[in-house]
This record gives sequence, structure tokens and C-alpha cells, in this order.
Amino acid sequence: MKAIIIGSGLGGLLSAASLSNSGYEVEVFERLPINGGRFTNIPYHGFQLSTGALHMIPHGPTGPLANLLEEIGADVEIVRIKPSAVIRIPRKKGDTNYSFGHKDILFEDFKTQFSLINRLKLIFYAISTRKNQPNEGSFADWCTKHIDQDWTNRIADSFFGWALSLRAADVPVEEGFEIIEKLYRHGGSGVPMGGCKGVIDALIDVVVRNGGSIHTSSEVTKILSDNGKATGVLVDDMEHKADLIISDIGHPFTAMMLDDDTAKTEIDRYSNIAKKLKPSAGVKICLTSDKPLIGHGGVLLTPYARRVNGINEVTNIDPSLAPPGKHLTMAHQCVEWKNIDHLEEEIDLGLKDLEEIFSGKEYEVLLVQSYSDGWPVNRSASGTDLKNITPIKGLYVVGDGAKGKGGIEVEGVALGVKDALQDILK
Amino acid sequence: MKVNDNCVGCGQCATFCKLDAIVVNAKAKMSEKCIECGICIAYCPVKAIEG
Repeated sequence: MKAIIIGSGLGGLLSAASLSNSGYEVEVFERLPINGGRFTNIPYHGFQLSTGALHMIPHGPTGPLANLLEEIGADVEIVRIKPSAVIRIPRKKGDTNYSFGHKDILFEDFKTQFSLINRLKLIFYAISTRKNQPNEGSFADWCTKHIDQDWTNRIADSFFGWALSLRAADVPVEEGFEIIEKLYRHGGSGVPMGGCKGVIDALIDVVVRNGGSIHTSSEVTKILSDNGKATGVLVDDMEHKADLIISDIGHPFTAMMLDDDTAKTEIDRYSNIAKKLKPSAGVKICLTSDKPLIGHGGVLLTPYARRVNGINEVTNIDPSLAPPGKHLTMAHQCVEWKNIDHLEEEIDLGLKDLEEIFSGKEYEVLLVQSYSDGWPVNRSASGTDLKNITPIKGLYVVGDGAKGKGGIEVEGVALGVKDALQDILK
Repeated sequence: MKVNDNCVGCGQCATFCKLDAIVVNAKAKMSEKCIECGICIAYCPVKAIEG
């Protein structure tokens, strides 16, 4: 059996490695000259910046991605971070920004910022919502209705902004609670040694070891099918036949490559649904300093910043991601859909935030990277993902446009790949 | 090199430019250091750079 994978992003390579382990002959076609999509390193002035992700795996060595990597036999070390997250709050109670100083509290202690009555409510809801997950409206709506306090909105926006590049008002409540449930179950984040590329290289090793091949600078321009069943792809006008096709380029781009008269109605319907998906947008600001700005490997959540949601400093875990004696610090901010056309202002606000968050510290801005539309944070905002199947038999979509339920970023990619494989290999 | 509306500002081009000739702030822009070598075209994930 032959499988062709379109795109060598994380979802594509996880699928390729798994299928090659299951006896498939695997061939991967990647449009760009580099593998890894938005989950790999790009060297820049001696630093290992990234194409997208922030060199972090949300649930560390015990989450869905780590489990799948282990199942596949990919040799990558994921180091759990302690503390996994710290929250920066203004020094004085009542202040609403960091301009008069700050203090840091452990993520676990976020409860201490609630009023006494809300703390009691929180204990009640922590138990009751695990049994009966709410399923209507947004996470923010739920918070306002149940634990209405300025802090609730701030911490929810900061956490979901960091984790999903969405405001709490744009996270379906069901997805929000599924994510909290997974945090309980799998624990907090970890750093893959060598950064994102550590994972990508380990997966490529598995594919190559199993006799599979990966072609870079090779663009698939059409998905071929016959009577509603996938038969192959077109690359540089050359036909490549396959029994199974996995697309890691998201549903909308996959739909655009289909052309099958026998399944026209289904394909049109699929294209229309795919077009409605809203990718999530964000800005990543990469900083460098001689002395650490954060001093630990965990996420620094910044609920009192104007735009920045959270920051990490991965060189505290893997110093090889920066030149000797230097640190690499990356700040992430969600960009609301209505602000995508005012990106420069959004970036300015993020830079101002960083000046206040790291006031009195010396650092340099290395690069500002923005993500939206055709190269977004997520091809479909968390909680709105379509499943892996398509109207064409033998054609599946994986990656961040087809994440599994409750999976933060790459954890969702891993869950989606698992769902697809289960269907394929059953 | 011309940058079209597809550009989202991801900065991938800037990191592969051997002359540090691309400035990115919400969008990529070539500086006077650009010698039109065209290497960046291949690395752009959204086909935003035209020769």
C-alpha cells in the first residue's frame, strides 16, 4: 500500500512516520525548501528562532504528542518545566498595569486573586463542571455568568491567548473546559530538546529508516481521484499514484485541489464549509538578552498587559537555542480578527507591554513575526476544527486545521492524527 | 523584489536572506541592501514575494 503525504508539517510527518511503521510505502511532498511547517527552527544570527510554535509542548512529556512520538519510536527528549507557569500581577492591589512594579505568583495560586465568595464558587464549579461540562456559548460568557470578576476575564484571556491565540470570548465553552480537563490529566508544558526541530528531525529519521522518502521544494498542485476515491497527486505535472492521501495543508487548500465530477455536490459542500473556518492570528516577538529576563523555563502569563498574553525563555532549559551567553525570550500575543488590518499598531502595543514587563532590564528585539490568514497560528480556531475525513474516500486532512477535541496547538495536531490513523488502520 | 498582499509578516524570508536585507514589521519590506538574488522567494510560505 502506498501513502502520499502533502506537506511536511508536524501533522504530515506524524502521519508519515506512523504509516511507515504500519507497513505503508510513504512519500512526502513539501512545497518549501525546508521541512516542519510552522513547527521547526529557523537559524537567525546564531539563534534558533522558529517558523511558528514557541519551542514548547503544552502537556510536556506525558501529553498526547509525547505519547504518539513514543508510540512511533521517535527519539526526542521532552523536558518537563517546573514551574510550568507563573503569573505576573501588579505589585499593588487595585493597579491595572505593571507601571508601578509587579510580583509573580505561581499558576496554581491563581485562585488567591479571587474574592472569598468566588473562591468558594470556584471549588464548587471545579467539581461540578468535571461531571457535567457546560456546552453553550463562549468561555467568557460562562465566566461572566458564574464567576464575574475582573480577574476571571484577565486570566482567561491571558491563558487562552497564550495557548490558543484566541480571546476567551472566542473559545467555545465546551472546548475551554475540555482543555482544563486535559491540563488536570496530562499536566503542564515541556520543552523538546533542540527546539521544535528536535521533534521534526526525529520523525524524519523514522520515515527514512522505514524506507520512506521526503521531497522538499515539491508542490502538489492537484489531488487526483476517480469515482470519489483518491488515486494520487500531481507534482510538477507528474502523476504520482497512491492508495491513501494525507493532506497537512488544511481543509480550504485541500478542497481547492479537488476536481472530481462524480462527487461534485459533495466537494462543493465541503469547500463551502472549509471556507467558513476562521484561522487564529497572533504576533510573536523574539527578544535576546545577556542576563535572563524571566529566569525559569515556564510560561510567564501577563494578564495585565495590553496585548502580550505570555512569554517564555526556553534557553533556561536548552541553552543551545541561543549563542553562548545569550538568552532567547519569545512573547506571544493574540490578534483579534477585527485588528488584523491594524497589525503595526498591535505590534507597537506589544512592544510597549514588553518595556513595562521587563522595565529596568536590558534586551534587544531580534525579530517580530506575525501569523494570520494563509500562514496563521491555527488554520481553524480551536473548538471549530473539522474532522479528518473529506468527501473523497482515501483522502484525510491532518494538522492544525483538523485538531482533536481539547487539544492545545500541537497536542491537538497529535490527537487529530491519532483519530485519522484509527480510521485508516481499522 | 516585490511583496504582494499575501504577506502576513511571518519573517521567514528575513531569516533566510543572506544579506539581512529584509525588514519585517507586520509585513516584509526589502531594504537598499537587497541585490534581487531571489532566494527569499522559495522560502515564503504564502507566495508573497515576486521577482
